Amino acid sequence: MEILIILLPLALLLGATFIGAFIWSARQGQYDDLETPRFRMLLEEKNINRSSTPREDRK
Amino acid sequence: METCTHCDEIALPAVYGDGDEMHARPFCCEGCIAVYNVLHLKGFEAYYDIKKNSAIFKRRSPVELRPTRFDFLDDVEVRKEFSYANSDGLTTMEFYLEGIHCLACLWLIEKLPEFLSGVYSSKLDLERSVVTVELGEHGKFSLVAKEFHQLGYRPHPLKRNQDVANLKTREERAFLVRIGIAGAATGNIMIYAVSLYAGADGGFGQLFNLLTVVFAVPVLTYCAYPFYHNAWSALRNKTLSIDIPISLSLIVGGVMGLTNLWLGVLDNYFDSLTALVFLLLMSRYFLQKIQEKGLSATDLHFFYQSDSVLREERGEFREIHPRSIKSDDVLQILPGQFIPADGIVLRGASNLNNSLLTGESLPVKVTAGDSVFSGTENLDQELVIKVQNVAEDSRIGRLLKNVENGWVNRSKIINLTNRVSKYFTLTVFLLAGILFFKLLQAHDFRHAFEGALTLLIVTCPCALALAVPLTFTRALATAAEQGIIIKSDEVIEKLAEVKHVFIDKTGTITLGKLAITDFQAMGTSVVPLKDVIHNLEVRSRHPVALALKAFIKGSEQSSLPVVEYRETLGTGVSGTIEGHFYEIKKERIFQDGVPVAEFQVADTVRPDSAGSVAALTQRGLGVSILSGDRVEVVERIAAQVSLPMTQALAELGPEAKSELIKKTPGSMMIGDGANDAIALGNAHVGVAVHGAMDISLRAADVYLTTPGLVPVEKLLILASETMRVIRRNLVLSLCYNSLSVLAAFHGYISPLVAAIIMPVSSLTVLLSTLAGTKKLRRLWKY
Repeated sequence: MEILIILLPLALLLGATFIGAFIWSARQGQYDDLETPRFRMLLEEKNINRSSTPREDRK
Repeated sequence: METCTHCDEIALPAVYGDGDEMHARPFCCEGCIAVYNVLHLKGFEAYYDIKKNSAIFKRRSPVELRPTRFDFLDDVEVRKEFSYANSDGLTTMEFYLEGIHCLACLWLIEKLPEFLSGVYSSKLDLERSVVTVELGEHGKFSLVAKEFHQLGYRPHPLKRNQDVANLKTREERAFLVRIGIAGAATGNIMIYAVSLYAGADGGFGQLFNLLTVVFAVPVLTYCAYPFYHNAWSALRNKTLSIDIPISLSLIVGGVMGLTNLWLGVLDNYFDSLTALVFLLLMSRYFLQKIQEKGLSATDLHFFYQSDSVLREERGEFREIHPRSIKSDDVLQILPGQFIPADGIVLRGASNLNNSLLTGESLPVKVTAGDSVFSGTENLDQELVIKVQNVAEDSRIGRLLKNVENGWVNRSKIINLTNRVSKYFTLTVFLLAGILFFKLLQAHDFRHAFEGALTLLIVTCPCALALAVPLTFTRALATAAEQGIIIKSDEVIEKLAEVKHVFIDKTGTITLGKLAITDFQAMGTSVVPLKDVIHNLEVRSRHPVALALKAFIKGSEQSSLPVVEYRETLGTGVSGTIEGHFYEIKKERIFQDGVPVAEFQVADTVRPDSAGSVAALTQRGLGVSILSGDRVEVVERIAAQVSLPMTQALAELGPEAKSELIKKTPGSMMIGDGANDAIALGNAHVGVAVHGAMDISLRAADVYLTTPGLVPVEKLLILASETMRVIRRNLVLSLCYNSLSVLAAFHGYISPLVAAIIMPVSSLTVLLSTLAGTKKLRRLWKY
């Protein structure tokens, strides 16, 4: 049981760290838009085709 | 069947882009071809790759684009009003983009800084269709708006009240922090509570007890603050709220836990109470989120106001934002534009579509000297008007004020849960008193006091408070999936009380658009009639011309040269084709003065209206048509949807409509125009249909995003079934509460028993919510 003397504070510290991290990220606004970012990450490697030469406007 | 290469809509008939590469690709309209060309020109081919794979997020396709310029966005005053400066020298403006419909849109819009100089960043919120653009020193918002427009979206600059917006974000983030802390604390408390239940005592028992208290204190103070706040304001306003018994349980439980810690007794209810706070906060968060989604969708539809207008300044017309229109300004109104202010026609003559303002289905002709009103649509010719009344003084502005007043005066209903909570709280207090005296006789004061307090804790109506928001969240989400936006949970309760449905005619029962109902050829025409119609009406935007064009759509037409083409306002069109003089006027087609065809135009009833009206009647509801149009027209429509003539109420002004609605208890008003707005606001439930005006959207409780009356029936089923589930949950949770009271009276209650009963009861009502009813399950499946 004596091991609890080390484990308890450790567990509390760990918990406190994560709560702190959560509060920080919430205040930063990381949870403001829960819809768009999950799509945004899918699109990152798509780029504008720079090589395409401008054609004349057709209509 | 072919679909459009750009927007995926069914292209009927398909238009093909000319040029080698594209000629095989079908499009639905010239607008889509234009956007397709722009995308290719700029090297955005990836747009179509992304679109192909983006079934995850899909919405309505892009909108019809009207030619607009956005120069007014660079005016100092407009910039001041719509944009705000960041700390690092950037200027930010938000646009609502009409036409955001898939993932490719997200990609395209967020690439903006890469192809438009001066743009620092561009971030799109897909849910709200709002893009936030940050500009550097040399950027111009007019160019940004022009770019969006070119890419096929219609940008509407959003005015932001920065303080209100900041406050809201802060509150929302604080709510999340509350949930997070409550969740973390609950988890930790459970660890120690289980050890205590398992029999930890001595030094470790005391330590664990202390730790549960340490974790519980922030939950019962900071996290539970919203409950105390609501309970307090309910008490102050002498109203009822379920938060009162909840707060009571939390406070009593907290005090008891602290006292026991002081006395060295290892008993507390913190495990149950913190879990309760966590779950309640979550259920409320979901409900709030889904309601905001509905609200923002309706709040943003301020469209007829946001198209720019042309104002005469020193002899020439300049583009301005409608907000800066003043009295005595001279404005040019182009065909297809909405008139932004009340005024008098100075030059020109045209037909106006008044249907949104008055309910009239036929266009009204105006010439110099006539009055025009804001909110009406100019149909076919340019008009120059002199402004008389703007904003609040205009006819529509006065209507709006009326609606807003009604909104404030409308009494808030006390919902079922809160009504129940009154009896609930009284009963619990009574029982606690009885238990106190019973224990006082049998044991001592301390025993009696503790017993009474325990009863107050374990009878916390948590299951009910948890289940109700979740049931409503589910209902609102189901409605939203079907294109029905409900403004708040209270509306569902009110919907279940609807007894009589009043329906506006134009645009609700009918299509709000003229169509050919009868076409008779008389005699022979040299040029085929469809070619006559096609060539004469090709340029006209008059509703009759549109009806004729729709009538011949689908058949082969050939373009022939027209000599001496004339459009006579209020009469018709004429011209010479292949040597013969043709006229289309007075619902007839003439060839060299001899009638060769006769047709009739009328606003036609939607194909599904009769069925919907029958379904409503079958549900035992009274149904009436309420219209500002002429008696004959309304009676004809009533006959078509098989309603008795007594239920066809015609020639009613906005106020008369509203009076009638006020007199009818349990009334539901369905309408679209500004003339319905007061009635929508005064009805027990107001439903604005697809295509409704901004003002009626604000007054209404429900907004249907799909046309027609079919959603109304679904809405009523959804509401009554949801109320059934809520009542069932009510009974279930009261059963559990009675059980706890019985246990408390017989002295069986302990923290362990509470820790079992509370989650089990919550789980039961949750399952009941998830199960729904047979009819609800059928609605979910769609």
